[in-house]
Amino acid sequence: MIQLSYLDYLAVEGKSFLHCLSPGWKIAGMLLVLSGIVLLRNPSGLLLLYGMLLSLFFLCRLPLRIFPLTLYPLLFAVLFIFVSGFQGRFILLVFLKVLSGSTGVVLLLVTTPYPLIFRTLDRILPSIFVTALFLTYRSIFILINVLEETRHALYLRRGFQWRHPWRSLVNISNAFGHLVIKGIEASEKMYESMVLRGFKNKIHYRGE
Amino acid sequence: MSHIHLPDGVLPIWLWGSGFAVAILIGFVLFRFIKKEELTRRLPLLGMMSAAMVLGASVEIVPIAYHVNLTVISGILLGPSLIFMATFIVNVVLALFGHGGITVIGLNTLTLSIEGIFGYLFFRLFWKILRRLMPATFIATFLALCLSTFSMIGVVGLGVPHYEELLHKNGGHGVFEFKLIKEKDDHHGENKEKGEINFKRFIAIVLPLSLMGWLLEGVITTLMTRYIHRLRPDLLKLEKEAR
Repeated sequence: MIQLSYLDYLAVEGKSFLHCLSPGWKIAGMLLVLSGIVLLRNPSGLLLLYGMLLSLFFLCRLPLRIFPLTLYPLLFAVLFIFVSGFQGRFILLVFLKVLSGSTGVVLLLVTTPYPLIFRTLDRILPSIFVTALFLTYRSIFILINVLEETRHALYLRRGFQWRHPWRSLVNISNAFGHLVIKGIEASEKMYESMVLRGFKNKIHYRGE
Repeated sequence: MSHIHLPDGVLPIWLWGSGFAVAILIGFVLFRFIKKEELTRRLPLLGMMSAAMVLGASVEIVPIAYHVNLTVISGILLGPSLIFMATFIVNVVLALFGHGGITVIGLNTLTLSIEGIFGYLFFRLFWKILRRLMPATFIATFLALCLSTFSMIGVVGLGVPHYEELLHKNGGHGVFEFKLIKEKDDHHGENKEKGEINFKRFIAIVLPLSLMGWLLEGVITTLMTRYIHRLRPDLLKLEKEAR
């Protein structure tokens, strides 16, 4: 999550052919990838899909630093190893589905600035939902700063120590409480400034 | 723990499809209860609480690889209608980072909102009965998490026949097609038994981990509520009911 600002930077500053493609086409492509993931039931088909997505990743010359992001969801897929009773075919199938989905999503996020994604979604989804999504995305950046500052403060004051688990738990909880209160205060200020700028249920994007 | 970290394409279409349909229906009904002006006024708060939930999910507590959901505390602060929309948005954002598939957003919204809505209801109920903040919060969080985890297990359980089909279906002749099935009919009876055993194994893995999660999140939510009550008691809206 901390890499969010870096992803945003890549989406805005990138110059690859995927960056130049319209967000509508990219979202349609993502839907196509999703249908492939849902409908394909043989590992070879999924391997082909994953191979195509990987080729796109490298053709766009995206930094390798973000590649581990595509592997992160594998952590959650591990549970299926136990569900399947360690059957190779099933595990391969699930892992390929996970990797295809995450690579597709990372490709979309890294090549499309988020206001453009939301502007496209605004055409098909209720505007109140898209506005809430936009505000959430914006709020993540605000809260990341608060979280980082709180984490530093905890670290510098030795707020987290394995030898004192209860005290550490109290400090972690207070840090989350602090995050929530700061978030609420920021949301109050945000609402006031939005009203001052004429906000009425909908955020208008550049070009509208 | 109540969050289904399932990838796309694992659950049957009818299951995730109905998840979306039920989520949209409940969302529509809940929104009838909120005034439009109220919704507009609280949108930034909804965004901020959703962001806090997303960040909570990204901070892992290392030894047991558990992350807090903050859904119960968000439910207490936002109320039942807004927490539903908040969980929907949280699941969309998390899905965009690979934390659960895109197709399971509806089902994830339902299980996570059970946590938020029942957390809110239990908190109000136990506050009325006990009149003590910390026990009321802990019991509410524990019960809400318990409910949502069982609903998640129920959802995963509904997909068992589909997993068996994925396990044993000889779909096409690809490069990596493994020939595990010799006698189809004979194998089927065995598979049925195997699938049943595996689901029990899934429950056996999930429940002990969940119990730790319920306790941990219960304690964290209780301490957070105490902290919020000290600094901004107005946010919990307890004044009318207490003393």
